[in-house]
Amino acid sequence: MPLPLQQGALQPAAEPMQVDAQPEENDNTEESQNFNVENPSIDLEQYAGQYIGLARIHRLLFIADHCPTLKIEALRMALAYSMTTFNANLYQVIQRKTHEAVSASSSLPDAVAGAIHNAPTLDTQWIETTAKKAAMKLEKLDTDLKNYKSNSIKESIRRGHDDLGDHYLDCGDLSNALKCYSRARDYCTNPKHVVNMCLNVIKVSVYLQNWSHVQSYVNKAEATPEANEPGKDSGQTVQSKLKCAAGLAELATKKFKSAAKYFLQSSFDHCNFPELISPSNITMYGALCALATFDRQELQKNVIASSSFKQFLELEPQLRDILHRFHESKYASCLKLLEEIKDNLLLDMYLAPHINILYAQIRNRALCQYFSPYLSADMRKMASAFNTTLPALEDELMQLILEGQIKARIDSHNKILYAKDIDERSTTFEKAVAMGKEYQRRSKALILRSAVIKNQIHVKSPPRDGGQGGEMSIAPGTASSARN
Amino acid sequence: MSSTLEHYVNTVQNYSTQGNFAQLCEFITKSADALTKNIHHLDYVMGTLNVQQHSLGILGILCVKFNMPNIHDFEMLFHQTQEFIYMCNGEQVRYATESFADLSHKFTHQLIDRKTPLRGIAILSKAIRKIQLFPSQLTSLHSDLCQLCLLSKNMKPALEFLDVDITDISKEGGQYDAKDFLQYYYYGGMIYTALKKYDRSLYFFEIAITTPSMAVSHIMMEAYKKFILVALILHGKIPLLPKYTSQVVIRYIKPLCQLYHDLSNAYCGNRSNDLRAIVTKHTETINRDKNMGLVKQCINSLFKKNIQRLTKTFLTLSLADMANRVHLSGAKEAEKYVLHMIEDGEIYATINQKDGMVRFHDNPEEYNNATMLRHIDEEMQKCMKLDNKLKEMDREITVNPQYVQKSSGTHDDDLPVSSTKVQGY
Amino acid sequence: MAVYGRKTDFRRLERDLEAQELESPGGVAGSYVYSQLLSIYLVHNDTCNAKFLWKRIPQNIKTSNTELNQIWAVGQKMWQRDYPGVYETLKYDWSDRIKPIMNSLTESIRQGAFRLVSLAYSSINSEEFASFVGMPVSEAIQAAVAKGWTADAQSKILTPKKAEKIGDPPLPSERQLSVLTDYVSFLEN
Repeated sequence: MPLPLQQGALQPAAEPMQVDAQPEENDNTEESQNFNVENPSIDLEQYAGQYIGLARIHRLLFIADHCPTLKIEALRMALAYSMTTFNANLYQVIQRKTHEAVSASSSLPDAVAGAIHNAPTLDTQWIETTAKKAAMKLEKLDTDLKNYKSNSIKESIRRGHDDLGDHYLDCGDLSNALKCYSRARDYCTNPKHVVNMCLNVIKVSVYLQNWSHVQSYVNKAEATPEANEPGKDSGQTVQSKLKCAAGLAELATKKFKSAAKYFLQSSFDHCNFPELISPSNITMYGALCALATFDRQELQKNVIASSSFKQFLELEPQLRDILHRFHESKYASCLKLLEEIKDNLLLDMYLAPHINILYAQIRNRALCQYFSPYLSADMRKMASAFNTTLPALEDELMQLILEGQIKARIDSHNKILYAKDIDERSTTFEKAVAMGKEYQRRSKALILRSAVIKNQIHVKSPPRDGGQGGEMSIAPGTASSARN
Repeated sequence: MSSTLEHYVNTVQNYSTQGNFAQLCEFITKSADALTKNIHHLDYVMGTLNVQQHSLGILGILCVKFNMPNIHDFEMLFHQTQEFIYMCNGEQVRYATESFADLSHKFTHQLIDRKTPLRGIAILSKAIRKIQLFPSQLTSLHSDLCQLCLLSKNMKPALEFLDVDITDISKEGGQYDAKDFLQYYYYGGMIYTALKKYDRSLYFFEIAITTPSMAVSHIMMEAYKKFILVALILHGKIPLLPKYTSQVVIRYIKPLCQLYHDLSNAYCGNRSNDLRAIVTKHTETINRDKNMGLVKQCINSLFKKNIQRLTKTFLTLSLADMANRVHLSGAKEAEKYVLHMIEDGEIYATINQKDGMVRFHDNPEEYNNATMLRHIDEEMQKCMKLDNKLKEMDREITVNPQYVQKSSGTHDDDLPVSSTKVQGY
Repeated sequence: MAVYGRKTDFRRLERDLEAQELESPGGVAGSYVYSQLLSIYLVHNDTCNAKFLWKRIPQNIKTSNTELNQIWAVGQKMWQRDYPGVYETLKYDWSDRIKPIMNSLTESIRQGAFRLVSLAYSSINSEEFASFVGMPVSEAIQAAVAKGWTADAQSKILTPKKAEKIGDPPLPSERQLSVLTDYVSFLEN
């Protein structure tokens, strides 16, 4: 078994940074890299209190990175919290950041500034003792596990692995934590254990942002029989956790509709997952994804009329209002409210990369929905309903029409939007004729190709002794565009 | 007349009368040296032969004359060749397709060297008709004709050949090679491009690009560049190449044409300003590739494409607004574009000069009239014809002994697909 | 020389002249071949082939034949779709050989302009219209009104009458039925 500190030093220091470090495949994320939020309205104390473990530290660091006004406070809280763990590496990283932030906020020389703002100094004593304690605990857990193994008591071995995983997690060594939690798998004797193992793996995978892993373990857990009988409280808690984890994974991979469905399935009374997510997170994620992707009926049935989600919405009254106004077609005030809460949403590490896309989709959906009952609509009224100018609205509509989201034409002269049905009959004819042409083209090419193959025509390399590679160059004096 | 020449004349006459053309061909090939030695008497020998009855004999002499390092009297040779090609017996010369093709190539080259390509067009057209077994058979003379047409800037005479879809390739004693094929489709593509028949030119360039290939060919690369530009003008995007496209194209040719891919990216993103910037930056390369004309048409067509996009979104739009949206200089220029596009049937719209607005319409075609029905009818017939042809080919393959042998498992590895039997021998 | 007035005659003449050019000794035809062929391409609105013909005409013929240059000047204006320019260049004392062709060209361009304007405009300034058809404004308005267009005396704006759809040729229904039968059997196989 490797020594914990050395192992730790190799890797977990980078962990909290991963939010920023891992670029998503999609190129829409550039905003998520560098942006600053100036006027958030967040009670940090209360916010941080909703999370435990790495979740709390990651979230605080994300806020510190993107909100200058809260930076020092967030770092200090993260620093204090890190000292309750064995994660000495993370402590050092945060300490350095805090120190830099405090110094930068003052124009005075370092030493003086440190004195005035009370920049925390590096507590080497704590680092040392923590390392020592961690090593000792690791050794003990290791020995215990060996003993269990020699006695072949399955249940003890399983717990031994879990304990070791917990300890690695506490030290910030995620990859070893993941290994230990996964090893427990072979010693699971009942479905409950399997589900527990899955939840552990899911938790670490979320920290590692390995979303495909998260999804596959959610599936694994859900496939485990009787592990999550709906009647039992514990079963419902497990269910909620799995839905939340799956929702996170879908959100991160931009499958917003599916994410919305997952979040909407979590139960308010059994929502207890401070290692990953808070109930108000579920409200935010669920409501926004639903707004961006659900049609009117879906929104009414699954969100507004959902008794379980109603409870979530009470946590975020602004979102509740937004949803209702959207549903009541009060788009101007709905969009205005959305704008107001944008700053706060941008400080959420899972939501921030997608905010602009989600907002654009919500706006488009609103535009489409606004127009859907009409045969024609006055664009002046529409512009005022969407807090925008006529030219800007025209541009937005043009895009939506080209994408096929709104079937309409703009009468730019009278500033009226007219609904336009597609003539299915003509389009079918058009397509048929085009397909016929394409078929002819392909068949002709095929017939020709078979003649080519029959005659063994293929381009060969020029003969080696030819010198100038004459074979393929175009005959001299041609009007062709041969090189030279 | 020396005895060798007398022997030549007699043998030609005898075999021709007997109809023993295969043997005559062999004899003529062997006589080439003897004829070369008597080069100054050949005109006299030709005089003793009849162009209809002794076509092969004359062909042999003409070949020798064209093979001389210096041609003494080209005008005379030109007329002899012209007379021969116009008057010779097609059935006879098809016994010697190789020599006939050789004569045509040399004749073409002479005319190109003498900068009178136009003189060869009618003769080469006739020559192709003589040597072809049927109109959809491709010969190596086809590319000669196209080259003459391009050089003389007289494209039209090539069309009667280019418009026929090829179903077979003349083997010409195994002499027909990839270069003739590539050149035909490359030149053909250029002719169609010159005449603005872009649909057909795209097809020709595609054939050139997808020719089976194990090496990078310049012709293929130039065809690829033009393929991209024509595709943009015609479809506004680059179509996928068929699956059978050689790896060479993807691996070597594509990376060599980055400039054209940049152009295409700007075009597909509807960014006319970017497109112009790229063109300005790479003017030299584009000029060297002799593609500036096409590139300019691309730029022009992007304006048109952007106007077409507007017709999908607007019922009415002011000309000034349109100019603004597609980056034209002003209402007047926008009106000109719209007018031209209406004239060419590219959009359906009416301009109202009273208020400076354009009103867009749907395609008035409702597919409910007899003319359209007839058109669809014709298309349907063409498809059926092609389908029948494919079925027939499929049947031919299933009864091909080699196919049967291969598919029944008796491996006789790497039998050449065709045992290259030349017709007639 | 025969007077070529009808389209079919022009087509035949076009083919004859094309052949003459190809058969001409030394590859250079007489200048009358070029000027006739060039003007006939224009009548057929075949500016593409006209352009290539102009490009291949030997320089000495171009310099010695001013009429030929004038024909191509018309061609250039047509290529640019510059209607006033076309009418301007068409005003020329054409030789007897070319005159009927050019008259026919003027007529077909004017008809084409009428068609285009009625297709592309819902209202048009009468001056602009006059430049399309190459007539003085008052005559142009008269010609338009004669075709059933309306003219607003005050604003001088013309409202073209939309061209009617060309009548649909009738179909022999029996033949149609047998063709349909063919399709069905083709599609089923």
